[in-house]
Amino acid sequence: MQLLTPLALLGALLAIPIILLYMLRLRRREVVVSSNFLWAQVIRDQEANTPWQRLRRNLLLILQLILLAAIVLALARPFQIVPTLGAGRIAVLIDASASMNATDSPGGDSISRFDQARAIAREVIDARRPDDVITLIRVGAAPDVLAPYTSDADPLYAALDGAQPGLGAADWDAALTLAAAGGAGAADFDVLIISDGGGALRGTATDGGRALPAIPGDLRYIPVGVSAENVGITALAVDVLPGQPPQLFTQIENFGTTAADIVIDLRADDVLIDAINQTIPAGSSFSFIPDLGGLDSFETVRVGVTRAADATSVDHLAADDAAWAVYDGGATRRVLLISAGSLFLEQGLRSLPRLDVTLADPASGIPTGNYDLTIFDGFTPPRLPAGDLLFIDPPESSPLFTVGALTVIPADAIGTIRVERDDPRLTYVDFSGVNLLQFRQVTAPWADVLIRADDGALLLAGDIDGRQVAIMPFALRDSDLPLNIQFPILLSALTDWFLPPTTVALPDGAVNLFDPAESAIAPTATITLGGTVVTPAQEAEFGQREYWGWLALAALAIALIEWILYHRRMRAPGILNLRRKAAL
Amino acid sequence: MPLFDDAARRKLEQVTLVASRARAGAIKGERRSSKRGTSIEFADYRDYVPGDDLRRLDWNVYARLDRPLTKLYEDEEDLAVHLLLDASASMDYPAPDADSSPTPAGEGSGQAVVPVSKGSREGVASKFDMARRLIAGLGVIALTANDRLTITVLGGRGESFGPVRGRGAAARLLAFIESVRPGGAVDLDAALKGYAGRAARPGLCVLISDLMVPSGIRDGLNALVGRGYQVGVVHVLAPTEIDPTLNGDLRLVDSETGAAQEVTLDDSLRDLYKRRLASWRDGLAADCRQRGAAFIPTVSDAPWEKIILSDLRRAGLVK
Repeated sequence: MQLLTPLALLGALLAIPIILLYMLRLRRREVVVSSNFLWAQVIRDQEANTPWQRLRRNLLLILQLILLAAIVLALARPFQIVPTLGAGRIAVLIDASASMNATDSPGGDSISRFDQARAIAREVIDARRPDDVITLIRVGAAPDVLAPYTSDADPLYAALDGAQPGLGAADWDAALTLAAAGGAGAADFDVLIISDGGGALRGTATDGGRALPAIPGDLRYIPVGVSAENVGITALAVDVLPGQPPQLFTQIENFGTTAADIVIDLRADDVLIDAINQTIPAGSSFSFIPDLGGLDSFETVRVGVTRAADATSVDHLAADDAAWAVYDGGATRRVLLISAGSLFLEQGLRSLPRLDVTLADPASGIPTGNYDLTIFDGFTPPRLPAGDLLFIDPPESSPLFTVGALTVIPADAIGTIRVERDDPRLTYVDFSGVNLLQFRQVTAPWADVLIRADDGALLLAGDIDGRQVAIMPFALRDSDLPLNIQFPILLSALTDWFLPPTTVALPDGAVNLFDPAESAIAPTATITLGGTVVTPAQEAEFGQREYWGWLALAALAIALIEWILYHRRMRAPGILNLRRKAAL
Repeated sequence: MPLFDDAARRKLEQVTLVASRARAGAIKGERRSSKRGTSIEFADYRDYVPGDDLRRLDWNVYARLDRPLTKLYEDEEDLAVHLLLDASASMDYPAPDADSSPTPAGEGSGQAVVPVSKGSREGVASKFDMARRLIAGLGVIALTANDRLTITVLGGRGESFGPVRGRGAAARLLAFIESVRPGGAVDLDAALKGYAGRAARPGLCVLISDLMVPSGIRDGLNALVGRGYQVGVVHVLAPTEIDPTLNGDLRLVDSETGAAQEVTLDDSLRDLYKRRLASWRDGLAADCRQRGAAFIPTVSDAPWEKIILSDLRRAGLVK
């Protein structure tokens, strides 16, 4: 045990005035009594019975001296050298990736690897020397400085208590760069990495990641985590082919060393569809296409993995045991195509997903019914129906637009067809390879011109009267557009504009991990930084543990005892006072 | 407060009345009951004092010598009453309290006002005053009964009074008592032994003291009883000696020897003291009982007339 401020021991000199004061206080009151001989006998009796009477008489003095000793020692700040992990300028990096949620600690299921990392960081803070500065960095998807360099324990403890692990991968590159920047120029710079060694720290190039940079200072790696047992969902997708019900694909992998008996449950819109038992051997995956039982209209689908009731295997990471997918395929749109007959248009529309196409002949009139989009091909209706409208080669004007003269593009025209590329509706459309014979002049002041030729507009679109209307003033047979790849692209773009897909939101808090690097929770023994392999740290530095707190508590307790004893002694007998008063 | 104020005097008279009536009755009764049919032996003459039975006056001597003399018979020998008063410094207690006020002089009523010993307060007399009042009471009873009274002061200036006889000496008795002052130390044992050796006429001996001597009074008692005295010991203690009210770190100074004793008084020490006091008093009582002496423990704040009329009477010292 050594002392931080040995000069405080001079306070022990205060014992001299305490003893002097005590001796002065002990100058007894003189009282004349009739005779002493009984009192002398009583004192002899007392000393015979209790040999430590002298001690009792001086008990208060002794207590006061012990109290002084405790206070002086506390002021001298005794400390003990304890082995610790870091000293000087210390950067503590705590891994907050998804694998740190694994509950494979010896303390039980409620302690995660992150909790263990917290405890280790706390020990480092406890054993710091007075001139050490420590910073805490939480390494998640982005590095987060929990506490800047400080030698004060309180903000460090508060920051530690508030930190939580995340559900993604950890960006070690950015975190190490941040740590290195903070330690530049320091004489004694230690970097402590508390992690299970997952992700980029493995240093292998199999995941395609580049090696982590070398950083200045002493690197210490403190591993947490012991087990590799984990079963997780690594893929879930909803696929839809046109004209077919949606299909689900899911893959579940066992990252552990023993075969896992699991139950896979499938829910669509929170309704249990199916649950199957499966045994996955160690280190292998199981993928399958579940049978949705003909279900073709749902919004969310959830796949969950749980341990079978009698399974002996364990699953330490719960974050990868559930996955969600959304499907908005139930929402099909109704499209009415009024055309004398256009094979290309009909086939093009039918190839688009989520469209329910109905054909009609102009001669037999407009069918009644609610349609999301009505397409008039070479025909202008006398009365415009509700909903969105697409006019292809309109012959006559309508209340929305006026049709002008037919314009013929000369065969040798080098004129270009320009597409408004900045318009989000035409992101993928490129009309450079399309040839056009002739088109009509159409004007619609409310519409934007999306595709223009030298002499006029080839595609107009806009919002009017609360609906979306587009006009293509040329006949499809007057161009080679239907044979061009741009035809389905244009149709798809227009359809997306007319009928935007509804977004289905995942339930709150639903996060798909889908990261095999994180689901593989097996801890690594070493990490690789800048080509250097760092082995787990032994406690090579020396920190201090101080004891003044305990001494101050002891001093307080002694002061209390001394006060109690003093008052018990000095208490006057109350009953006798009453008796004397009654005798008067 | 004077030693004998009006109230005290009235008490004295009451005590006297009771005593004389009892005494007279007892004598007459005894003579009638036990001596009938027995020749009465003439023993002695004594001077006539007013109040004596005129049938016992010797008329022949009176006719011849013109001097009244009363005849005394064997079993009517008058008692010699010896009263011993301890006037050592330890009797002059309790010590003055912090809030004791100077005792005021009594109302002028013609009687001799004597300031009482230092340290007594209204209502709390010192042991010495209590002892003096007891002596006065006993003395007056003895004079009323025509006993031969002697009062000796042990310690102090060592005065003595008497032997006197008859009621006429009462005033002188009171004056003497009031003039006694306490002080000094006394070896009670030696004093008693000396007194026994000097004895002229052994009779009733009453010692009034606090008996605060380490050596005890066994030898003295032996001497007195051996000489034929009927001994009574009135043990006077102050209330604060029985139950001390002091507390804390003290230095106790002995009023007789001046020796100092350092004590730290707390509840446990107080208990020890009380136990020691009780065992000491019991020891004294046993010493007296074994020698056929009466032992009467009293406290200085008790009513003195009751002590005489009940305690001493019960002990057989007063009829």
